[in-house]
Amino acid sequence: MLDFFTIFSKGGLVLWCFQGVRGPAAAATAPVNALIRSVLLQERGGSNSFTHEALTLKYKLDNQFELVFVVGFQKILTLTYVDKLIDDVHKEFRDKYRNEFQQKGTLALLNGTFDFKDDFTRLLREAEESSKTRAPVAMKTFEQSLKSQKTIKCMIETRGEKPKEKVKPKKNKGSKKEGIEVVAPGKAPAGEKQLPGAGDREELSKDEILQKNREEFFKRHMKAGERASKSPKPEAQKEKGKKPRVWDLGNSNAKVLDYSNSATNGSTEPGPVEEFDPDTALGDRNREPGRLYDLEYESDDETEEEKIVPNPSKTSTKKGGLGGMFGMLKGLVGSKSLTREDMDPVLEKMKDHLIAKNVAAEIAVQLCESVAKKLEGKVMGTFTTVTSTVKQALQEALVQILQPQRRVDVLRDVLDAQRQHRPYVVTFCGVNGVGKSTNLAKISFWLIENGFSVLIAACDTFRAGAVEQLRTHTRRLNALHPPESHGGRTMVQLYEKGYGKDAAGIAMEAISYARNQGFDVVLVDTAGRMQDNAPLMTALAKLIAVNAPDLVLFVGEALVGNEAVDQLVKFNKALADHSMAQTPRLIDGIVLTKFDTIDDKVGAAISMTYITSKPIVFVGTGQTYCDLRSLNAKAVVAALMKA
Amino acid sequence: GMAGALEPHMETLRRELRAPDPAVLSVLLALIAVAITILLWRFVQGRRSGRRAVLLLGLCDAGKTLLFARLLTGKYRDTQTSITDSSAVYRVSSDKSTNVTLIDLPGHESLRLQFLERFKAAARAIVFVVDSVAFQREVKDVAEFLYQVLVDSTVLKNAPALLIACNKQDVTMAKSAKLIQQQLEKELNTLRVTRSAAPTSLDAMGGPAQLGKKGKDFDFSQLPMKVEFVECSARGSKGEEGDADFEGLEKWLAKVA
Repeated sequence: MLDFFTIFSKGGLVLWCFQGVRGPAAAATAPVNALIRSVLLQERGGSNSFTHEALTLKYKLDNQFELVFVVGFQKILTLTYVDKLIDDVHKEFRDKYRNEFQQKGTLALLNGTFDFKDDFTRLLREAEESSKTRAPVAMKTFEQSLKSQKTIKCMIETRGEKPKEKVKPKKNKGSKKEGIEVVAPGKAPAGEKQLPGAGDREELSKDEILQKNREEFFKRHMKAGERASKSPKPEAQKEKGKKPRVWDLGNSNAKVLDYSNSATNGSTEPGPVEEFDPDTALGDRNREPGRLYDLEYESDDETEEEKIVPNPSKTSTKKGGLGGMFGMLKGLVGSKSLTREDMDPVLEKMKDHLIAKNVAAEIAVQLCESVAKKLEGKVMGTFTTVTSTVKQALQEALVQILQPQRRVDVLRDVLDAQRQHRPYVVTFCGVNGVGKSTNLAKISFWLIENGFSVLIAACDTFRAGAVEQLRTHTRRLNALHPPESHGGRTMVQLYEKGYGKDAAGIAMEAISYARNQGFDVVLVDTAGRMQDNAPLMTALAKLIAVNAPDLVLFVGEALVGNEAVDQLVKFNKALADHSMAQTPRLIDGIVLTKFDTIDDKVGAAISMTYITSKPIVFVGTGQTYCDLRSLNAKAVVAALMKA
Repeated sequence: GMAGALEPHMETLRRELRAPDPAVLSVLLALIAVAITILLWRFVQGRRSGRRAVLLLGLCDAGKTLLFARLLTGKYRDTQTSITDSSAVYRVSSDKSTNVTLIDLPGHESLRLQFLERFKAAARAIVFVVDSVAFQREVKDVAEFLYQVLVDSTVLKNAPALLIACNKQDVTMAKSAKLIQQQLEKELNTLRVTRSAAPTSLDAMGGPAQLGKKGKDFDFSQLPMKVEFVECSARGSKGEEGDADFEGLEKWLAKVA
């Protein structure tokens, strides 16, 4: 049932290939290449399965001998034996050719003929049979189940009731359950006559317990608290013999609750003067009047909710003695292969370090998972510790993520567009307040310095002062680069149609205006919008789909933390959903702004590039026109790994 | 304390020098001889293994790994995208007993610069493999990678010989080496301007190096290293069973080794 199974070295040579059900040999290379490019090279190695068109691919890495094992099968099938098959094949292949790998290295891979077919067919047969041998389990009859043996009494839950069961009463209506749910009897249908009978007397005595539980629950879940308060009412109505419930604040009349003093409602008399103690109000007596002190730097230990996972290293430190010492010595001298247990404490620490550096939490987790997969089973060199190996691998992974997957050269593309006599259109999108208009002005300054004329399209028709802001920038830029020094043509012009109009329409008109007037670049400024705001996201998607800009830049601030993931995912999703084309225009690049406000907490760069796998095109480091930089991957990673 | 402890040793040494005891003297001489041998050996080793590597660079799917396999074994192998480097010793086929280390580096965008960093210092020569069939489409990417290799400070300092191998000539649509050279020169000319005008990177250490001569159009002859263009086909015109067509490449390798 498998489509193919390949074994190849990490250097690219295919060692052995099995063609399964159908397909020529070439059918295996394209999906495997896609697997390598999207999973292994983008550090998404956490999960071991990948879908490509109609195939599902599962893979396993052998880090000791640098091999990759990939199996492909149809997506619609769910084969349960695949994982076991890969593990068995891995072990078998490695043991069979272990000597060759160890002795001859690359030449062994090149010259060796790996005749693995018989072993593979045997393992495949074994795996298929093992999945078939489990006979279908016959369903238990009702008499056999535990439920028929329960009595009504033990079904009543009093203490330790879970809040979730409040949702269940809706199901009770249809079922003929013999048990009752005391937790939310308010919705119990009239059909269950047993309720007032046996259960009630027990309710009466357990009134206080219920009330206490309800108050506790009310404190924890505010929403569900409303349901708790609703239920006592129908209870009280059912049996008149019940004691009315006494709440702390209920049943008292309004007079007791009125804490305002008599002088209210328009009276201008001041209330009783409180004792004003200047000491407590002013605080420090010895301060100089009028001076504003600096913020004192305290090392803050942020309580992070992510630290739920108990540290597994606690158990590993218990085992020690002679075995531990031997292991350490062996580790120092080399030829020790890394196991998951060795790496886990180090990876935990690295993950926390990354999160402290403002990398989004889920991305830090995925990164560490991927690094663990890459290092598992690898043989460490002499005198290298686990920490240094893991750190090295993580550093390489981070540099890899920050390397752009496509060319980042705006000027080159503008030259191309110039040659084709059409303007190069750049659109800026992002949430509110990240610096779109500011960085748009910086980029237009940079383009003017390089001799390109720019048309700014003011498609932010919503925010007050957006058009005026761009007009001020235009005036300033024209003052810095007057037409006289550029052969008599104005380098910057603003195209605006005021407020309240449709942004997509303005953009389209601006582009045709630029084409007629011969502008080289059109920079389209859009309004900031939250990623959850569906109508605004639709409007943005429409603007991009209709005008087909050459470059869609997402502007994100470097201060953002976990929000970056949400913003980018939702923006991309909106652009993909509302596009009519086969290949929708997604975000092409990222502008990282406010980089000067973070010292070395540069994690936002990693989060953004990891999510979109698109490069960071510009970095904004201030509010003047010269504060525009390009990303230096090594410097960012160095700042990230610095302790 | 310390001086007092050394005194008896100094005494014995002086006594030995004045009245040499053959046993101790021979031990001393042997030690000195061993030390000198080790130093010499390391010196020679260092000089010999300084730059013996020939790097295979290029974009993804240019055919580097297949070329690597063909050069070393002469046989055709199926290949996938490389994730890591492979290196092996290549014995030049002429009667010279020299050998070079062929290193095949991955071409994927996220890896290529990292691996280049690692191996550029040991590079004696660079083979830049170009896919002649997809060249028209990829000319900008090829030129960008070539530019990054050429402006690298280590490469400029060592000036390893550069061979641009126009691969996949067995396909009829492949461009000729001459055309590729012209296109690359034009593209690199433009790239010089746009790359130096790009916004400076964070923590930039000086500007990017200038490629070629200012004022004149870029030409490969303006570079400090020797550049040659050669056509080859790793797959070979006779398909997978036949040999690869790369005599030009083999001759160049023999020259460089």
